Amino acid sequence: MLLKGVPARTTQVAQVGGVLNREAMDLVLNPHDAKAVEAADFLKRRVGGKIVALSMGPDMKLIPLMKPLYGAEVTGVDEEYVLSDRKMAGSDTWATSYAVSLGVKKAVGRHLAPIDELAAVISKAGYSDAVKSKAKELYQANLLPNRVYSELPAVKDSIVQRFSEGGITADQALAELAEVKESLGRFIVVSGIKTTDGETGSVGPQVAEGVSELLGKVVPHATYVEDFDVDDAGTTVVSARRIGRLVQTLEMKLPSLLTISTEYRPQDTSAALQPAARHNNYRGKLLQAQKWTADDLAADAKKLGLAGSPTIVGTGIDVGKPPVQKFVGKSTVFLKAVPQADFEGKKYGPFDKGQLVPELPQALADRLKGEGATGTFGYDALVGELFG
Amino acid sequence: MSAEARDVWVYLQRDKERLTKDSLEVLAAGRKVADKLGQKVVGILLGDGVEELAKQAVQYGADGVLYVDSPAFGTYFNLRYIDAIFAMVKERRPYAFLFAANELGKDLAARIAYRSVTGLATDNVLLEVEDYTNPALGEFKNLMVQIRPDFGTRLARIYTPRHRPQMATVRPGNFTPLQPDMKRKGKLEKFPFQDAEYPAKVREVVELPPPELDMTGADVVISLGLGILKDGSGRPRDPRDAYRLAEGLKKAVEARYRAKAVIGASRALIYAEVKELEGVISKANQVGQTGTTVSPKVYIALGISGALQHRVGMQKAGKIVAVNTDPNAPIFKIAHYPIVGDLYEEVPKLISMVTGGAPVAG
Repeated sequence: MLLKGVPARTTQVAQVGGVLNREAMDLVLNPHDAKAVEAADFLKRRVGGKIVALSMGPDMKLIPLMKPLYGAEVTGVDEEYVLSDRKMAGSDTWATSYAVSLGVKKAVGRHLAPIDELAAVISKAGYSDAVKSKAKELYQANLLPNRVYSELPAVKDSIVQRFSEGGITADQALAELAEVKESLGRFIVVSGIKTTDGETGSVGPQVAEGVSELLGKVVPHATYVEDFDVDDAGTTVVSARRIGRLVQTLEMKLPSLLTISTEYRPQDTSAALQPAARHNNYRGKLLQAQKWTADDLAADAKKLGLAGSPTIVGTGIDVGKPPVQKFVGKSTVFLKAVPQADFEGKKYGPFDKGQLVPELPQALADRLKGEGATGTFGYDALVGELFG
Repeated sequence: MSAEARDVWVYLQRDKERLTKDSLEVLAAGRKVADKLGQKVVGILLGDGVEELAKQAVQYGADGVLYVDSPAFGTYFNLRYIDAIFAMVKERRPYAFLFAANELGKDLAARIAYRSVTGLATDNVLLEVEDYTNPALGEFKNLMVQIRPDFGTRLARIYTPRHRPQMATVRPGNFTPLQPDMKRKGKLEKFPFQDAEYPAKVREVVELPPPELDMTGADVVISLGLGILKDGSGRPRDPRDAYRLAEGLKKAVEARYRAKAVIGASRALIYAEVKELEGVISKANQVGQTGTTVSPKVYIALGISGALQHRVGMQKAGKIVAVNTDPNAPIFKIAHYPIVGDLYEEVPKLISMVTGGAPVAG
């Protein structure tokens, strides 16, 4: 689940050379991200697993913002990471997407490595106490799902449990672990459709592309998703998305990425799904948000921050030129065309009907007014100019 | 390396037998940029049986069209489209590449930009060509200046100096399609594509009925803002009264001048979810950056302060009338006809004048 901290108020925007200085502003979570939270919550109720929140920006600002999300919706976020590093400051969408893609890969990888660790103990020694103690250690660190090892009374058929009771052989246990590992690679990334500061909507699809490159496989994406569901096995997501006047139903294999529309309303999940979801859940939450630096991500510094951003924000410009203004009931205008006005040997004009009366000698201005050539700009003249 | 990149590419969207209005606008934008650069405009078109559309693109300003024509492209499927377009980019290296800033254009452009390792400036309202000097990076000749609403109170210039193509999405409603020239000739070139297996597929596409409210085609837009909740003395007013006034003005204009008028609203009013206006005003009415961009002959803003996000959605209107009690409201900076006053008093005067009544004193 991708989140962003955006300026809380448009009146307090600190910029340094066109780049927002997020450290100097009050931040709030991007309002569009609320839909990503709802979507992630739906997924956890539907098929279980873990909700990992990932953001990028000043950790001191973001961690307090993200903390309430541990209790958000029904299930809440399980883990939170903030990509925070001076080297990432000033990133445009490309550089942001690069860093976030690395973050996604690392967050997923964190859960794959423990499966390998446990498998290594099993293949080395077969069943021994070492297997159980390794599993317990990883489980308590929230790194193994209940289906691998569990201390929940309701879960009696974890892989380690059946293996320890002789129900399955070491080879069978390893095969099952391989399956678990594969399923952990079938993640979904959800994000809002855009942020309220940049308003680009680019980072979602660009992270799908970035993760595709990092994993060496195509991660499909769907933007503006109004409705979606996953199959029971957690292999496929079907989403409905708006493209202009079309609603497209897109079926995607996992891993995939969705940006969630403001029109999204989570479906209800039935109680019957709970046992299956529980098998995919982890023991608890890591309530301490973690900061990941560029080094933690093993990022290429040339691709981060200002240096890694293809776009440069230049100077701002004002919107349009100020128009010639006529104030109803106040401005004085020509009520008819005056090709020429002679006054004290000088020629003035021509003046068009409706034209604002320019600076004129007072006596001439009075004369024109007296002749009915000029007058106050009223509603009749306005309507004539608008629709005539 | 960037020196050899050339041509301004325009991604063309189609709606059955026609190029979309958004695409014709982007073609006009591309034409403007290409003329300033002395380069060609190349339309990029993907579909099944699109040769006639390619000819249309030439009539509307393209110098050539590079197209993929295959049943595989009959339905929009982002991954296949992205692969096909990226293959073109990689082989031909365009100087600039423009898309419409709508759902489809943004869906494609973002991923193509990432894969091409280049910048993408979204939602541009204006494109220019200028030399650009950056103290750290040096001088760049003839860059495309991408001008988009910035967060805050201004428009920002975005440059993509070092990477090609310079990619941008163009906000609908900001460029006028060129007049078609049936005699214009251009080079139509079919581009090969190799299909692949994708971990996704389109199951179904359903067309929604046309929107009830087509604001982009209106001659006159009468918009309401949060200011309608109070009268000139600051006392609360039933916003339905303002809506009735707007309706009255709309009907008067339509009857007298045979113009098409619609009622719009600011984002602030839509987001306020005013109970009295339920079922009368919805997101479909919203004008502005997150709503619809309109460019009617006449825009009448009632009780709208005019935040930049609203202004970018209506500043192209031919004539702008603004009624607001606050003389410092930003809307007055761009209004041709500022009316500082209480809309509950001013609009009836306007209506009576439109219906042909006697001029009202005041």
